[in-house]
Amino acid sequence: MSYENKILQMKKMLGKKTAAPSKVQQPTFQKPTNPSYTEQWKRAGLTVVENDFGIVFKREVQYPFTYQHGHYQLQSFFDALKKWHVAEFDHPYALTVNEPVLFFDTETTGLKGVGTHIFLLGFLEVIDDCFLLTQYILADPAHEAAFLFESKLWQKSVTVITYNGKSFDWPQLETRWTLHQKTLPKLQSQRQIDLLHSSKRLWKNDMERLKLKSVEEEKLGFSRKGDIPGHLAPIIYLDAVKSGVPDALMKVLLHNEWDLLSLITLYSHSTQLLFEEEHEESAKTFTNIGKWYGDLKESTQSVRVLERVTTQFDALEASNAQYYLALQHKKSKRYSEAIDAFVASLHFVEARTKLHVLEQLAILYEHQMKDYEQALYYTQQGIHLIQSNEQWRAEQKQKWVISWEKRLLRLGNKK
Amino acid sequence: MLSKKRTISELLHEWRYDEELKERILHWQTLEGRPASYAPFPENLHASLVKALQARGIEQLYTHQREAFDLAQNGTSFTAVTPTASGKSYCYHLPVLQKIIEDKNARAIYLFPTKALAQDQKNDLNKLIEQSGEEILSYTYDGDTAPGIRQKVRKAGHIVMTNPDMLHSGILPHHTKWVSLFENLQYIVIDELHTYKGVFGSHVAHVIRRLKRICEFYGSKPVFICTSATIKNPKELAELLTNESHALIADSGAPVGKKTFLFYNPPIIHKTFGVRRSAVLEVSDLAKRLYIAGIQSIIFAKSRVRVEMIVTYLKELTRNKLLDESVRGYRGGYLPSERRVIEKGLRDGTIQTVVSTNALELGVDIGQLQACIMTGYPGNIASAWQQAGRAGRRQDEALIIYVAQSTALDQYVVNHPLFLLGSTPEEARIYPENMLILMDHLKCAAFELPFSIEDTYGEYDIQELLDYLAEEGVVFKTSDKWHWMSDRFPAHDISLRSASQENVVIIDLSIPAQTKVIGEMDRHSAMTLLHEEAIYLHQGIQFQVEKLDWEEKKAYVREVDIDYYTDANLAVEMKVLEEDRSRSYNGGMISFGDVGLVAQATIFKKIRFGTHDNIGSGPIHLPPDEMHTSSSWLSFAGPEKWTEEELTDAMTGAAYAMNAFIPLFIQCDSSDVAVVPQVKATHNEQPTFFVYDKYPGGIGLSEKVYELWEELLNKTYQHVANCACEAGCPSCIGAQDSLQQAKRKVLQVLAILQAENE
Repeated sequence: MSYENKILQMKKMLGKKTAAPSKVQQPTFQKPTNPSYTEQWKRAGLTVVENDFGIVFKREVQYPFTYQHGHYQLQSFFDALKKWHVAEFDHPYALTVNEPVLFFDTETTGLKGVGTHIFLLGFLEVIDDCFLLTQYILADPAHEAAFLFESKLWQKSVTVITYNGKSFDWPQLETRWTLHQKTLPKLQSQRQIDLLHSSKRLWKNDMERLKLKSVEEEKLGFSRKGDIPGHLAPIIYLDAVKSGVPDALMKVLLHNEWDLLSLITLYSHSTQLLFEEEHEESAKTFTNIGKWYGDLKESTQSVRVLERVTTQFDALEASNAQYYLALQHKKSKRYSEAIDAFVASLHFVEARTKLHVLEQLAILYEHQMKDYEQALYYTQQGIHLIQSNEQWRAEQKQKWVISWEKRLLRLGNKK
Repeated sequence: MLSKKRTISELLHEWRYDEELKERILHWQTLEGRPASYAPFPENLHASLVKALQARGIEQLYTHQREAFDLAQNGTSFTAVTPTASGKSYCYHLPVLQKIIEDKNARAIYLFPTKALAQDQKNDLNKLIEQSGEEILSYTYDGDTAPGIRQKVRKAGHIVMTNPDMLHSGILPHHTKWVSLFENLQYIVIDELHTYKGVFGSHVAHVIRRLKRICEFYGSKPVFICTSATIKNPKELAELLTNESHALIADSGAPVGKKTFLFYNPPIIHKTFGVRRSAVLEVSDLAKRLYIAGIQSIIFAKSRVRVEMIVTYLKELTRNKLLDESVRGYRGGYLPSERRVIEKGLRDGTIQTVVSTNALELGVDIGQLQACIMTGYPGNIASAWQQAGRAGRRQDEALIIYVAQSTALDQYVVNHPLFLLGSTPEEARIYPENMLILMDHLKCAAFELPFSIEDTYGEYDIQELLDYLAEEGVVFKTSDKWHWMSDRFPAHDISLRSASQENVVIIDLSIPAQTKVIGEMDRHSAMTLLHEEAIYLHQGIQFQVEKLDWEEKKAYVREVDIDYYTDANLAVEMKVLEEDRSRSYNGGMISFGDVGLVAQATIFKKIRFGTHDNIGSGPIHLPPDEMHTSSSWLSFAGPEKWTEEELTDAMTGAAYAMNAFIPLFIQCDSSDVAVVPQVKATHNEQPTFFVYDKYPGGIGLSEKVYELWEELLNKTYQHVANCACEAGCPSCIGAQDSLQQAKRKVLQVLAILQAENE
């Protein structure tokens, strides 16, 4: 039978309310009953935590500081903290030594909307002598308040480190919390460090895909064996709740565990890069880092990083570094250094940047050096570049030429 | 040169003595004007609002605006029937702004049927807010809202102007991001209520039930304010749409000027077949006369192509004037900026004649014009009055000309002016109980908030349906609640506007490198209109169907220029599944209930234009289509001694005529319902006419027909009997193959069915 007909057969099942029953005031919170599979999940290695709102399943694993995950030991995180402690500059990813830190990752039943549940909250944090992994598993949707309450995120004040948590995990968590605003204490807002954002800054133009799995393989020396693909997680949880069998769900827990371990080593690795202590990386990555410091107005640090790129890589690979370096010099009014760096970049950068370089050279020669001859030369080069380029749209080219020709005219008069 | 400018009364005086016009204008009717009735500003109306109104030259309110303010202040949901240009937006702006000034946390949602209308109203509202000097934030929220300000709209917007589609898929499923709106929602404004009818209206009824459910969760209980054009059942529609009782403001206090209606029939140019001169040409001629007389006018045409045809014709008038923009077209497909320019031109008078589709029927502000021409009957009285309402500046005289096309309905209207001028407009019907629509929205509702095992949804008890959804694996039952448990996002699978779940997409192959989709059609109609070799007319252009991919629901067409059209036979078998109601009628029986319908397209004929010769035929190979829908049927004893074939032909002709008249009674398109004759119905072996809804599950139209058979049969008989043709024509019983006794036989059958005069 077609879907349509099946639905229409159900017409008789639709009851129409005769009189609107005066809605009884919702009773205060009622504790839900435990799911039928509670014992079964316990046997799979989960423990049951009970609170005022119901139950939640929990799994804990301890890792010694020396635990090796890919290229790094987990304690590399402490080296990172030390570096930030003695750093002479400020950075949005810096942590202080005593700052409580929580590595955080969730698994959900969908991608968006109020109908998407979080069914797994994964935390990884430092306790006395080890790293402690704590995973809370939603017992069933009726026990959501218990699940959220147990996370203690309403209580503690921590810096939350995630991968894409700023736009996904945390807003999802806020959504779930909003649904229980009548019963639960308010969710604390926390300082957030999103390592997806830093990865984008570090490996722009270098890595094509920034899935955590690719970063692990290409940068952290970790490859997963027997991992379940993340997109199957929703179906696996739904099945576990419906059938009561937790086997596949345990694999989702492992997947989440790996994600969290990688967050630690990714943080360590990124920190090392920011302090230029990792030598395997490409000119592109270090150029990105130099530019990032520049954008953060940490000019000294930016110049240091970029200059090192120009000494360690050949002219072609270092061309973008020269360009950003020149911009830093110009900003600090070191005009002749700026000119040198612009000239060094000129022949290797892509056309759009090149046009900007020519313009900058023309400006510097005209206004700072008062060398109109040179200024005229770069202006002519600029016009030539615009006219000979075949990729740019004709309209755009015309606009540019008009403004460049103004400069040309002015320089002609000055000469 | 002498000025040819004239007033409307001067022009009408001339026309009375114009021989040609005299013959074609079948009826003149003047409706006298009515002065405004005013009420003072409410005493508690905030000083800044008084200031804003005074800045616009308003010193008192119309009575309906005052009534609206008082009801809203009282917390009573209401519906105001507001003709064009009656200042309807103050019915909601004033109470909403008053509330927000009193309580800066208060919020309101304005719902408009389209994005464009919301944009329009935003400008007007922002101007009013500016004049009041208050800090009130109003935003539109739709697909065009920049991501950068969405956050601000959600958190801080006092008034959010949106459309049902956005509410359905962009707001309700993400309600946790709108907490401050839902916790403080005081008013929900539904503008253009009358547009929420049929499938669309039934969907929106559910979107509003979902909205109310979310408000309840956050503890708000908003008041509904609806405004509607004149329809028969505004209060009933509002109540069914919002599931809330409404007060009704039926009388407008706005002044009405004197209106003259002319009923114009194009001359017959082919007597035997009853063919008349094209209405488009007649309209163009009339518009030209108005243009020359210097009268600002609006011409309504039914399709974009006709709009362009009339515009092209009228532009001849301004050909010799450089940069003259006094004649303009206006239709969907124009850029918003272009539309704004036209609207402004109409308000300031630089545009003298505008030719429009029904796009200008809705509340777009173009000021008031002097004259209006309707090319054909717009399908229902409510629309006709809305179009007519575009003419008439305050106290000034207005002229409305109705030009009939050759269809049955148009010819009926031109011959019965009282129908348009005297009868109440149709009902707008919605049917939220349609199971397919209901199930779709039940899923969305479950996605948005869990249902408890005691919950109802709107006025429905849905526990058994949730059980079904649990079996389907999209909801999960815990001890006391049903939770959404699927990775799907149900709102994305549901379009509020589409009539059927599986439409056939029509793809134009005429230009090889630029194939494009030119339309879609429901599956049921596609069988007879988009079969291979069918000639498909799209906005006046002929296309031939080259290939119909039934599996993929795609029809590939190519533009052609040929002198015939195609007509397919559809063998329809009706099975009565359940009879809900019945009553005896004139020796026969009228029933209403559920039917199963199996339709199979059999053969098609090629019929030459003009002569209607059958010049070829072919088979159609398509699988039978099944549909479960609601229907009203009439069984009767046929005339004695007729062969089955005679009865089939007569009933087919009668069904054709009836089908054309159903839109007279209910707001629908003649393609929303179908009339099928069965000489021997399977359930009782009697001749039976079935009227059924052409949407799976039904949409409430045939249910209404159940009560209307007497009137329907009467009107149909009168029309066929009075039609000027000799043996049947497209205006009455449909084009006939041969000049047989078809019309006489149809009338015989219809005569049997006339209600007894007691």
